[in-house]
Amino acid sequence: MNKNNIGFYMVTFSEQELAKVKEIISHYPEGKQKSALLPVLHLAQDTFGGWLSTDTMDYVAGLLSIEPIEVYEVATFYSMYNLKPMGKYVFEVCQTGPCMIQGSDNIIAYIGSKLGIRPGETTSDGMFSLKTVECLGACGYAPMMQLGKHYREHLTPEKVDAIIAECRNNAAAQN
Amino acid sequence: MGVQLLLEKVKVEGIRHYDVYRREGGYRSVEKALKQMSPEAIVEEVKKSGLRGRGGAGFPAGMKWSFIAKPEGVPRHLVCNADESEPGTFKDRYLMEFIPHLLIEGLIVSSYALGSNDTYIYIRGEYAWIADILETAIEEAKANGMLGKNILQSGFDCNIYVHRGAGAYICGEETALIESLEGKRGNPRIKPPFPAVQGVWMRPTVVNNVETLAAVVPIINDGGEAYAKIGVGKSTGTKLISACGNINRPGVYEIDMTISVEEFIYSDEYCGGIPNGKRLKACIPGGSSVPILPANLLLKTAKGEARLMNYESLSDGGFVSGSMMGSGGFIVLDEDQCIVKNTYTLTRFYRHESCGQCSPCREGTGWMEKILWRLENGEGKESDIDLLWDIQRRIEGNTICPLGDAAAWPVAAAIRHFRDEFEWHVREPQEARKRNYGLAHYADPIHVPVAG
Amino acid sequence: MSEQPLLTVTIDNITLQVPAGTTILQAARKIGGEVAPPAMCYYSKLKESGGKCRTCLVEVSKGSEKDPRPLPKLVASCRTTVMDGMEVKNITSPRVLDARAGVVEFLLINHPLDCPICDQAGECHLQDLSYEHGKEGTRYEFQRRTFKKHDLGPYIQLHMTRCILCYRCVYTADQLTARREHGVLDRGDHAEIATHIEKSLENNFIGNVIDVCPVGALTDKTFRFKNRVWFLKPLNAHRDCPDCCGKVTLWNRGDEVYRVTARKDEWGEVESLEDGSAAWICNTCRFDKKKTSDWVIEGPRDINRHSVISQGHYAGKIGTTTPTEIFTAVHDGRQPKLLMDIHSVSEVNRPEIELSRIAGPSHSNDFQKGNE
Repeated sequence: MNKNNIGFYMVTFSEQELAKVKEIISHYPEGKQKSALLPVLHLAQDTFGGWLSTDTMDYVAGLLSIEPIEVYEVATFYSMYNLKPMGKYVFEVCQTGPCMIQGSDNIIAYIGSKLGIRPGETTSDGMFSLKTVECLGACGYAPMMQLGKHYREHLTPEKVDAIIAECRNNAAAQN
Repeated sequence: MGVQLLLEKVKVEGIRHYDVYRREGGYRSVEKALKQMSPEAIVEEVKKSGLRGRGGAGFPAGMKWSFIAKPEGVPRHLVCNADESEPGTFKDRYLMEFIPHLLIEGLIVSSYALGSNDTYIYIRGEYAWIADILETAIEEAKANGMLGKNILQSGFDCNIYVHRGAGAYICGEETALIESLEGKRGNPRIKPPFPAVQGVWMRPTVVNNVETLAAVVPIINDGGEAYAKIGVGKSTGTKLISACGNINRPGVYEIDMTISVEEFIYSDEYCGGIPNGKRLKACIPGGSSVPILPANLLLKTAKGEARLMNYESLSDGGFVSGSMMGSGGFIVLDEDQCIVKNTYTLTRFYRHESCGQCSPCREGTGWMEKILWRLENGEGKESDIDLLWDIQRRIEGNTICPLGDAAAWPVAAAIRHFRDEFEWHVREPQEARKRNYGLAHYADPIHVPVAG
Repeated sequence: MSEQPLLTVTIDNITLQVPAGTTILQAARKIGGEVAPPAMCYYSKLKESGGKCRTCLVEVSKGSEKDPRPLPKLVASCRTTVMDGMEVKNITSPRVLDARAGVVEFLLINHPLDCPICDQAGECHLQDLSYEHGKEGTRYEFQRRTFKKHDLGPYIQLHMTRCILCYRCVYTADQLTARREHGVLDRGDHAEIATHIEKSLENNFIGNVIDVCPVGALTDKTFRFKNRVWFLKPLNAHRDCPDCCGKVTLWNRGDEVYRVTARKDEWGEVESLEDGSAAWICNTCRFDKKKTSDWVIEGPRDINRHSVISQGHYAGKIGTTTPTEIFTAVHDGRQPKLLMDIHSVSEVNRPEIELSRIAGPSHSNDFQKGNE
C-alpha cells in the first residue's frame, strides 16, 4: 500500500500487486482481460483505502485496456464496491427476512445508537461505518454482519459491544 | 440420520485438506472417470442418476449437460455457480467451507465430462474467506496431480479458477453470472441463445450449482442407478437443506427426500422443533422466492396426505396450496412473526437486487415495497391488497429472467394464505404498529405447546 | 445469393411468409398497423437492442409446425425468431393486452408526466403507447423517482426522470462513436444514464442518441424550449457532408431552421439508405448547420397522418393500410374500442374539419371559419 506524504493514497499498484493483477488476467482467455475487472476492483478497493475513487477506477481501466465508463458501470452495479470513503471498520448488517425474524432491526438500532450514526453513515473520527445489506447467506446464524473479510454471527448487544471494543483496540495497536 | 452422500465425512478432523480427504476415499471418482470412463459415459451416468439441479429450478442435470454444443475448435466451459444469495439458503457455503475438496473433485469429473479445460467457480463476493479456502484446495489438488496438465496420465488438462463476485443476487441467474464473469454488469441475457450454445465469451457453457456438481462424485463412485435408488420418484439422491428462522437447531442437513416435513421440523435429528414452546405459523420451504405456506398446508397437502421433503410433494397442489423445493432454504416462522413485515423485507430484498433492465421488475418491485411498507406501518388502505395482487400478477412471467417471478411469488402467496392479516393491518393500524397479528386459523393444529 | 427458405407465420389471423431469422416483430411490421407490437427499446438498426421494455410481448399459441405446443410465457416479439408454422396472437390475445397495459403502467409510475414542458411531446413513443394502451388515471400514490442533475455538455440535454432505460443510447455510443463515454450506472430502480464524472458528450455521431431516444430523456439542447414539434414544418434536405450521408429532415418555421434530425421511418427509426445502412447523421449536420442556405431542400416530408405533426397540414402518410382497417379485419369485423373519444372532451380537432385543406399551421381562426 502506498501512502504519499499528505495522507492520500497514490493510485499506483506496487510491483507485487501488479504481478497479482497479471496473474488474475491470466485466468481468462487471451483478449478477454475485461473478465478480470471484478477481482481487480476488489484488489484496488483493498489497496486504495477501502473505496473506489474515480482515479482508482480510471487506473483500473488503464490496466485492463478498457474504457473508464465500463469500470464505472460495473463498480456502481455491485453493492460491495464503495464509491465514497468508508470508515476503517465497516459493519455490514444483514436485514433480510431470516435475519429480521431473529431481530436484526434491534441490532442495527443498537449499533446505530452505540456509534451515534445511522445506516449509511460514518463516525466523525472515520473509524466506523454502518451499512445495511441484503442477505449474506448466513440465515441460520442470524442476526449477523460482515466485518472485513469475515462474518460475525449470532449477534447480541453484548457481542456488538465486544466487536466495537475489539476494533478500537486493533486500531490503537496499529497506530 | 438417513443416507449421507455429501456430508458424511464433513466432521472428520482436517477434511479440508487434501491428505485427509484423500485418505478418507476422496478423488476416487476422478481416478475412475479419467481412467475408465469416456465423457459420454459420465453424462449417461448422470442422466441415469436422475440428478436435478440443486440451485432452485430443479432441471435434470444430465439433460442440461447433453445440450452443450460442440462446435469444432471452440473451447467449452463449465462454470460452478457458487453465488448463493437466496435468502434462507446457506448450504453451498457449508459445503465449500468444510469440505471444499468434494466440490473440486466433482468439478474435475464434470469438466472431463463436458470437455472444459478452464473451469470457473463464480463465488459470491461476500464469501471472501471461502474463496481463499477453495483456492488453497485447488493448489493442493494441483500439487497432487489432480489438476493441471495431463491429469493422472489421462491426457486431460484442467484448471479451476475462483472468480469472486461483488454483491449482486442477480448473478445467481446463469446468464447474469456469465455476464459478470465477463467483467460486465450482471444483466441477465435475453434467451435464446442459451448458454449451452453461446455462454461465456460466446462459447458453449454449462452453469451448475455447487451441490449439483458435488453430487456427481457419489454418482460416479457408486453408479447412477445406485444414486437413483435413494429418494422417491423424480426426487433422487440426497438434498442439502439449510434450515433457519424460529427453530431450535438451525443449520445444514442432508436428507434423502423421503422424510416428512413434520419430521424435519420437529425431530431432534433435524430442526428440533420451535423454540420457547411457540407454535408453527408458516414456512417458506425452498428459499425466499418460493410461496410461503401456512402450517396446516405445510404439514399436510390439500388432499390430507403428509407432505414430504421432496420436489413433487412440496409442489403438490401447485401454487394454490403448495410451494416448491427451490434451493432448499427452509425458513420457519413461529406464531409471533408478522407475515406483512416478512413479505416487506423480502420485497425490499428483490427491489434492491433487481438489475433494472426490464420494466416490470424494475418498477414493480419498488412499487410493491412501498405499498407493503405502508401496510406494515398501519397507513395502508383496503384497496392496497388488491393492488398488490394486481402488481405481482403483472410482473410474474413478463420479465427477462426469473427474478421477476421470484419477487412476485412471495407476495402472491402471502396474500393468498394470509389475507386476513393484511386486512387486519388496514383495519387496526394502531394495533399493527404495536404488535404482530399472531396466530390465526392456519396455525399448526397438532403441535400445541404443553402448558407450563 | 442462395435461395432462402421462406417460413409461414400467422400473426393475429393474418398469414404471411418471411425469410428464416426474421423476428416476430419484424414479421408483424410487414403487416403493419396495430398488428405490429409497440417497441420502446428494440431498434432494428442497433445490434443487441430489444428485449428489455416488455411492451412487445406477444402470445405464441402454436410453437411451430414441428412442435405445435404453445409457449407457456408471453415472449418478447423483438427477440424471438419465427418458426415455420408458428401462430402468434398480439391484439387478439386478452393476455397480451393485459400484460401490455401492465407494462405501460410500470413505465409511467415514475415518469414525471411533464409533457407540457417536454421537447419530445408530439413525437414521443411513450405518449403514443400510453394513449393506446394506458389508463387515464394512475394507481401510484408515492413520490416519483428523481435523480441528481447531470450535464452532458452543450449539445445534449439529459432528463433522467423521463428515461425508461431502453439502453438504445448505450448501443448507439458503442456502435456509432469512437468511444463510449456514458452508460447505465447503478442498478435496479435507481439505475441511470450518466457519465459518472461530469463530462460533456461531444463525440461525432453521439447526437444520434437524441434520435434513438424513445422519450424525452435525451433531447437536442440547441432546440430546447424553442418550439413545439407540431408547429414546425418538416422538410427533407441534404448536403454534401464529409462525415455522414448528409440526408436529414429540417424542422422549419418559415425560413428558419429550428432543428435538424435524421430521417425517420414509420416506426420512428432512422431510415435506411439505398445500400441498406442506416442514415445516421453527424454532429456537424445536426447541431451546426442551422441555416436554410446550408441545405438543398428536397420538399416536404411525409408524416404519418395519425401524428400530431401532420395537423401542420402536411398531407400524405406512410404505409398503405390504415390501422383501423387491420383492426377490424383481425377482430372479425368488430370496430376497435376507443379508450377515450377525444372529440367528446376537446373542441379542437373536430372530425368535420378537413385538416389537409388548411393551408398552413392551423390556428383557432381556421376552426371558427369551419370547413368552407
